[in-house]
Amino acid sequence: MRADAVEAVIRGLKRAGVSIATYLPDSLLKELYPALDADPDIRTIPVTNEGEGAALAGGVFLSGKRAVLVMENSGLRAATEHLARLGLGAGIPVVMIMSYRGEMGENNWWAIPHGVTMEPLLQTLRTPYTIVREVDEIEQAIVNAYETAYSSYHHTAVVLGGGIVR
Amino acid sequence: MSMSRYECMQLLGARLNDDALVILSLGGSVDEWYNAAPHMREASLFQQQLGCVTPEALGLAVGLPHRRIVSLDTDGGLLFNLGALATVANEQPGNLFIVVWDNECYQSIGGPRTHTQAGRVDLAAIAQGAGIRHAYTARTLEEFDRHCADGLAANEPYVVVAKTDGILQPGIKRKHSDGREDKYIFVRHVEELEGITIMGPSEHN
Repeated sequence: MRADAVEAVIRGLKRAGVSIATYLPDSLLKELYPALDADPDIRTIPVTNEGEGAALAGGVFLSGKRAVLVMENSGLRAATEHLARLGLGAGIPVVMIMSYRGEMGENNWWAIPHGVTMEPLLQTLRTPYTIVREVDEIEQAIVNAYETAYSSYHHTAVVLGGGIVR
Repeated sequence: MSMSRYECMQLLGARLNDDALVILSLGGSVDEWYNAAPHMREASLFQQQLGCVTPEALGLAVGLPHRRIVSLDTDGGLLFNLGALATVANEQPGNLFIVVWDNECYQSIGGPRTHTQAGRVDLAAIAQGAGIRHAYTARTLEEFDRHCADGLAANEPYVVVAKTDGILQPGIKRKHSDGREDKYIFVRHVEELEGITIMGPSEHN
């Protein structure tokens, strides 16, 4: 992941008022995780699977603080059960930032399912999302994701793809 | 030898006032808690989320580190996501008390057994192995009450696995709100307690 993209993500999170980041690390956003860990304004909480991260982020919402769930897009599959219950069931929003594994041009066979399942799952979960491929669009996309999540009380997602992560 | 969950709840409820916050699991424990601790209704988030309860309570505990948070999880719910114990251990929240109602069955769907019923799976030992130093099993009301006292005063995560009998308390009032309404009730309560706005006004009304 490009260094200027890492900075843009953190700028966006700060503008959105995020103080807690929960994540399960992946390779495409590899440089983002230590940068989040090192940021004095953000507490990071690594989790054992993305569903746990979704629930944790939901709990942070209930406290009045703002959280983000950062993961590979495959994490959406692990978190679907939790996201469905939190969002569709109770109206507790989780804002997600995920890498776009399996995008057109993917050269790993194992990553193909991640690309195949991501958008249908987001749509099934009625989760609005923005796919960002330009660094200068990252910050505002993140701010927008929080505005919509806190107006709809439902999940939103920012997907980082293209040259940002590859 | 196991005990009544409802009586355990009455003991725990007597130790709480509504400046503590509770997140609880699904099934029969919902209506029981609603009746056993009526003073905690607005301070309790009633959820229908297997595997979400303790992670959600951890998020709340991290967001409100000055406030006591109680997770009322279950054997089925905890077994669904055992990794949550490892995360709790690593984060070491000083304000999180976790009760696991272990009735050894999926009571809300008629009682098929969970993995604890065969007597081999020890949830307190799993929690200790995950790195939660204070993790215990309670089999009597006296033991449970003592762990509530200790757990609510602890400054590190504390787990008590309550071995309960799986008999639903008869004749209790049903909670009739859904998860969405419960969320609003809970959030408005947190807003009032903390003097903050969580679900705020739109730009234009």
